[in-house]
Amino acid sequence: MVQTKEQLFRALSDAVVEMEEEKTVTISNAIIEAGIDAYEAIEKGLADGMNRAGQLYEEEEYFIPELLICSDAMYAGLDILKLHLKSNEAGIKNIVVIGVVEGDTHDIGKNLVKIMIETAGFEVIDLGRDIPPQDFVEKAKEVNAKIIALSTLMTTSMEGMREVVALLKKEKLQDRIKVIVGGGPISQGFANRIGADGYAANASDAAKLALKLIAGGVV
Amino acid sequence: MLLDKMTPLERMAAYNKGEAIDRLPCNPNIANGASRVIGCKISEFKGNGKLIAKAQIEAYRKFGYDGVRIFTDLYVQAEAMGATVHYPLDDTANLETPPIKDVSEIDQLQPADPNKDGHLPAHLEAAKILIDELGQEVSCAGGIVGPFTNAFFLIGIEKMTKLIIKNPEAVHKLCEVSLETCIRYADAFIKLGLAPTISEPMSSTTMISPKQFREFSFPYLKRLIDFIHQRGKAVTLHVCGKTENIWVDMVASGANCLSIDNVASLSRCKNKVGDQVRIMGNVDPSSVMYDGTVQEVRQATLECVKQAYDNPKGYIICSGCSLPIDTPFANIQAMMDTAREIGYPVNIEALEHMKSSTL
Repeated sequence: MVQTKEQLFRALSDAVVEMEEEKTVTISNAIIEAGIDAYEAIEKGLADGMNRAGQLYEEEEYFIPELLICSDAMYAGLDILKLHLKSNEAGIKNIVVIGVVEGDTHDIGKNLVKIMIETAGFEVIDLGRDIPPQDFVEKAKEVNAKIIALSTLMTTSMEGMREVVALLKKEKLQDRIKVIVGGGPISQGFANRIGADGYAANASDAAKLALKLIAGGVV
Repeated sequence: MLLDKMTPLERMAAYNKGEAIDRLPCNPNIANGASRVIGCKISEFKGNGKLIAKAQIEAYRKFGYDGVRIFTDLYVQAEAMGATVHYPLDDTANLETPPIKDVSEIDQLQPADPNKDGHLPAHLEAAKILIDELGQEVSCAGGIVGPFTNAFFLIGIEKMTKLIIKNPEAVHKLCEVSLETCIRYADAFIKLGLAPTISEPMSSTTMISPKQFREFSFPYLKRLIDFIHQRGKAVTLHVCGKTENIWVDMVASGANCLSIDNVASLSRCKNKVGDQVRIMGNVDPSSVMYDGTVQEVRQATLECVKQAYDNPKGYIICSGCSLPIDTPFANIQAMMDTAREIGYPVNIEALEHMKSSTL
């Protein structure tokens, strides 16, 4: 059966939303065989599916288990499609450096934010968890990142976020590299107090926030 | 500073009977922050029942709140079943490696022996000291991680989360062996005279759906609570995060008191299930208690009391979750002082007046 590009993108998106990892792989392969642009397939298929899953989470139709399975499906598709990305497309992407601040090893929240920011079209450098403030700044400088995204679940690690902002100020990089924060104990008030550029309450808001900061020309 | 006229036990007994009391019960919910009262590092609690007890006893004596509890972190039961736990020098422990990595290993899991395995014996030693020292004046509790949440730490949080969809049968098997540990640990606390309290953070609808809660968490939670009831103790159940869509189920599990997070609404909880269950909560432990001013603590405490003081089954002033370690003493004191200032019975007009005035 011959399917149009749009039908394939829709099927790919549906496979992600419906948590069908194998189907996501099959359709991704079909897209490559048909010579369809991989970047477009990621954006209109995989990312669209993940966005819809995120929407379902906001509507309390989906919960964390569903989101994790959807992201598995998305990554399975991504593993195939990303091999066929043309390099200039990756090059124009904006880079986000993400990680869990030092003293904290909880990273489910960070991983979800990473997925949502990736699906919003960013290239994400994931430093992992328990990361010292200096490392975020060093990596952001090295890869010319536009945004540093910081996560923590623990109040004891909140100060590390303040430290990252302070380091950027000290190096006069605060206009070039924006800082967004989130996690259980973090609030908009805390973000304001430490001079961060934004706070998001959940993963899809974090992706929207990152897009807003880029679109606003503030970075 | 206002002083209490009753001991916490006298107050709670009178409150339960609907008799006169000096003020509403109040429990700021200090956890490892008790280390700050005695000036020790949190890692010193590891396996040291005497020190855990000393910290809790001295923290109680400092603030005079209405409940003490032996509870250091979420992982003691999983550790006693073979998990590796990381103990930072001065922070709450976290899970390093679960005892098993794959569902094929589930049958290797054994329920813990509270008198032998991991640091459970140290916690029981702390419990013994606590009840010997304070049992005549304040309610002493043993903190237990609920069966569903503890099951996450047996195979790894992300893996378990996916199993909920991919392999429900494996989830049930994990919960079953987890429950047996919970029951044994609860039994050990009860034998010493403490009342078990249950923390079930993974049951939150921030994590899983109400349907998943009913299928995977509720049956084991109910069996644990039934067991505790048979042994003559009431149960306080704390679930972090969003819970509104499972309040009815939490009540059906048999819990006598629901402790709710600050993301949930006390007044809505009261209206929905307050005729069946006592409620405690829910001053924001992070942005108010840890990060706020004394004035903000007072306002938040007043707001909670305003919403829930007339709960038919009673209300206990509390934080929405365990307090962050370095919560300022002044803020903990402010919650207690506000409870004392409000007094009892709560006069709603006086309360409104307090809300509109600053100290």
